[in-house]
Amino acid sequence: MTEMRNREQFTADNDQRAEMIAQQRRTISEMETPVIQVWPGILALPIVGSVDTMRAQQMNETLLDRIVATGSEIVLLDVTGVPVIDTSVSKHLLETVAAARLLGAEVLIVGLSTRTALTLVQLGLDLTGVTTRATMAKGLELAFGRLGLEVVPRRRLSVDPEAAEL
Amino acid sequence: MARVPILRVRDLLVATVQEDLRDSDAQALEVDLGLALERTEAAGVIIDVSVVEMVDSFLGRLLNDMAAQAKLLGAQTVVVGIQPAVAITLVELGLELRGIRTALDIDRGFTLVRQLIRQERLRGTARAQ
Repeated sequence: MTEMRNREQFTADNDQRAEMIAQQRRTISEMETPVIQVWPGILALPIVGSVDTMRAQQMNETLLDRIVATGSEIVLLDVTGVPVIDTSVSKHLLETVAAARLLGAEVLIVGLSTRTALTLVQLGLDLTGVTTRATMAKGLELAFGRLGLEVVPRRRLSVDPEAAEL
Repeated sequence: MARVPILRVRDLLVATVQEDLRDSDAQALEVDLGLALERTEAAGVIIDVSVVEMVDSFLGRLLNDMAAQAKLLGAQTVVVGIQPAVAITLVELGLELRGIRTALDIDRGFTLVRQLIRQERLRGTARAQ
């Protein structure tokens, strides 16, 4: 009798724990893939932490939906916060690039460290057809260029028209 | 389902797929497009698939084939309005469709196809000189 009650208690505890884990997973997944519109037509997706299949799939879906919703043509995929890029991670990244391209958006992978670049080369991964830049800033510059925009320092206002000429 | 209409707009052909295509309809589209290209000598083709919600490898391959066929007949092809779910399916099937150009919507598709046609003409004149 006691044993049966114990078992019931055990199952209930287990269910509760499973529920809690599921809830936490939802919270984490909500936090982990923010898609930011940095400019009309440009989205940024900073990835922090490791990328597994489930996360990659979710990231992919969120990103593609946002591309359609915002009508963006360029995505900056920032991998600064990804500790290791191995074969499987790069496969996921390439899938994202390919899927976004099908929609009509270009993905630029930015934030590749020297070490990561070296790893990718040593692993012999084929990144042809993917545009990469070392930093987010460089990527943004390229994105502006693609959209025909240019960032220039504002000319200082001057009362002297001749000085303004200079 | 009825056949996909192929409209002629200036020097372009526009095919708007109205609903999910059956294999036979898709094949008919490929043939019709080829005939229309031959008849009109269009410089560009836009295929709008924005209402297509499901694709299989057959349709994916067919899109690729249509673009290749158009290219042989001297026309640039842009596929517009691929839905996120469709894109994911295609990539999972290993069909990245590297041979086709894509745009988010038909408006951008027009811009892109114009750009491609201009590039192609420039290449043509460069070779002639």
